[in-house]
Amino acid sequence: MKALIFIANRAAQGIIVMLGVSAIVFFALFLTGDPAALMMSPDASRAEIEAFRQAMGFNDPIWVQYGRFLGGVLSGEFGNSLRFQRPALDLLLERLPATALLACTALLWSSLLGFFLGTIAAVRKDSAIDFAIRVISLLGQAIPVFWLALILIIVFALNLRWLPSSGIGTAKQLILPSIALGAYYLSAITRLVRASLIEVLGENYIRTARAKGVQGWSLVVHHALRNALIPVITVQGIYFASLLGGALVTEIIFAWPGIGRLAVESIQNRDFPVVQAVVLFAAFVFVVVNFLVDLAYLWLNPRIRL
Amino acid sequence: MRQLKAFALAAAVLLSTSTAWVQDSLAQSSQITIARPVSTTAMDPGFLREAATIVDNIFDTLVMRDKSMQLVPGLAESWKPIDDTTWEFKLRQGVKFHNGEDFNADAVKFTIDRIIDPAAKSPTLSYIRTVAGVDVIDPYTVRIRTTEPDPLLPTRMSRYPAYIVPPGYVKQVGNDGFATKPVGTGAYQFVEFIPDQHVKLKANPGYWRGKPAIEQVTWRAIPDGTARITALVTGEVDLIEGVPVDLAPMIAGSSDADLVQVKNGGLTIYLGLVMKDKPLDNVKVRQALNMAIDRKGIVDNILKGMATPKGTQVGPADFGYLDIPPPAYDPKKAKALLAEAGFPDGFRIKMQSTLRYMKDGEVAQAIAQQLGDIGVKVDQEVLDWSVYVQQVPRKGPIFMLGWGSTQTLDADAAVYAILRTGEPYSTASIPALDKLLDESRKIVDPEARKKVLHAIQELSAEQVPLITLYQEDSLYGKAKSLNFEGRPDARIPVFEMSKR
Repeated sequence: MKALIFIANRAAQGIIVMLGVSAIVFFALFLTGDPAALMMSPDASRAEIEAFRQAMGFNDPIWVQYGRFLGGVLSGEFGNSLRFQRPALDLLLERLPATALLACTALLWSSLLGFFLGTIAAVRKDSAIDFAIRVISLLGQAIPVFWLALILIIVFALNLRWLPSSGIGTAKQLILPSIALGAYYLSAITRLVRASLIEVLGENYIRTARAKGVQGWSLVVHHALRNALIPVITVQGIYFASLLGGALVTEIIFAWPGIGRLAVESIQNRDFPVVQAVVLFAAFVFVVVNFLVDLAYLWLNPRIRL
Repeated sequence: MRQLKAFALAAAVLLSTSTAWVQDSLAQSSQITIARPVSTTAMDPGFLREAATIVDNIFDTLVMRDKSMQLVPGLAESWKPIDDTTWEFKLRQGVKFHNGEDFNADAVKFTIDRIIDPAAKSPTLSYIRTVAGVDVIDPYTVRIRTTEPDPLLPTRMSRYPAYIVPPGYVKQVGNDGFATKPVGTGAYQFVEFIPDQHVKLKANPGYWRGKPAIEQVTWRAIPDGTARITALVTGEVDLIEGVPVDLAPMIAGSSDADLVQVKNGGLTIYLGLVMKDKPLDNVKVRQALNMAIDRKGIVDNILKGMATPKGTQVGPADFGYLDIPPPAYDPKKAKALLAEAGFPDGFRIKMQSTLRYMKDGEVAQAIAQQLGDIGVKVDQEVLDWSVYVQQVPRKGPIFMLGWGSTQTLDADAAVYAILRTGEPYSTASIPALDKLLDESRKIVDPEARKKVLHAIQELSAEQVPLITLYQEDSLYGKAKSLNFEGRPDARIPVFEMSKR
């Protein structure tokens, strides 16, 4: 019963968040200016712009437009993209596989390497290797992704000519963007695993295990790591959710045909329906994944079981 | 359900792209890849919301432009005015669309009717705004009626939205289907379109101008400048559009690629002046600002010579161009003019600019500094393009904007919309100029019209309703093995290219 109330509570919170996001994306975009003037060709006359605005419904009261928007969102209709003249949600879903592929690859390699480095750093705490790993992970979080992406292109595509500079279609084309995108998460996961593991290694039950004679990697892997992973998995869920909303900078630089690039190009072209669909989608994924993480937490950690 | 289908389709395409390309058995030498900064959204020439670069290769117009930018016969073999508001076009016979449909007078009528139908809401309707209707005289003769005398009608028939479309096919697949699978009479026929990835075209073997030398062309979108140039230099692509000035040396320094610099191929950058605001209502103030700017210095030092200082908005290749030299840089005289106008100590004014044109941020800074030298303190405001473009007609009082006539190569496009009182992009208001501008749109006789267009430019140079700065070059990068020259009208006709 308690668990049910908890779930209902979280679901209600999610709905409130989504309503808030919908209001923000709708009004924020509308208050920045007049879409009709931009969508028409530059030498269109005033009368032509006015006729276009009327036809698109931009002249209705803003509350009427919001009501229409909300009704549409609930039935999965975000309206037609002004630029593509196609349903906004279709455009988004067409680009989801590319974004998901990049997100999964980036998160996979950064997680595996992050676990490995974080564990070594925790076990060899305060050693030279720990110091080196900490410096590297600090750098990884400090370096802006656009800079790293351009450096990767210049070094590996332009100078060494090992890898293609952009595009999609072959495994080789996936390497540079997933490195650029994963670098930040590698650092974050390394630091988190390290901190979490160091904390767990100081717990009483680890001392008990040591007292019983469990030693070395067996102690780390079987006793400590399992518990240390709980916060890491929570954070990874959130990373994954944010990645599915599209990697704006990485997708633009590597000409990756995903949701992030769609978002940036739609913003540049003031393509309202698409921007709204992308933001709401990102928020929706975030809310859902957070909800699932909460559930997973219940299941993973018996100590907080309700 | 529709969404699910879209998702599944995209996933399948993603998996299959790599294999599909490998299966292509075409000779490597006759294939090229062209990278542009922007993605293509749709390819229906009647309803484009972007440059016609790709559709230009799929479709033909009644009238075309040759390499020297002269109007030459396209799908029409000849044309002539019948009276002030009627033009007759004699059509080429024996031309077929890629799907086998015949090109004839019905196709021309269908094409134009489809766009001028108000219910269709074509975004580029304004490009053929004077067209009232099309009459089919016989299968290979049409007469196009205009609402008023329109000297530019043949020019209007040389660009989108007037690319001729096949009536049968469009009716069969509908406008939406046509936009993703276009069929034309052009040098290249459509093969494949994957949004944000590529458009593939192959040569039309029965093309009426002869078989193209390049067999297959792939258009890719690479938004980032460094990535685009890297793709060129490493041989991933053969031609790129949109080379940032800062990165041009990357191409010039490469042994496999060349920089193609088309003089006067780009936009003309100017400072708009909101003339209803004080002190810009004073002609002496405007003249002072005009001569306080060192155009040559800006072009040489900031733009590295990739632009040409100008004294008129009209381009040298445009019909009606008058060679007015840019005003001499003379801060002393400018200061004296300001004093005469009642501003011996100058004044404070806001200048808006954006980040869209060649090094415009640095240019705006240089201009602010140069105006400062004559006592005009400039408060700079730099706005994102998507916001800026909507403010431009109203705010200012000084704003930087790029304007082009390379699509029509006629002075009308260069001046009317930004000088005529009341036009959305115009902040000028000079009654004598309005009179000339209106007159220019009513004269059909080319010589008489040229005179009026010259008068417009002379009056503008004297009254300074806006400050013309310079015309950008258009920059391309090409593989050394590709024959490509670049055109002032910014088109990229693959038909004119070949590979060594």
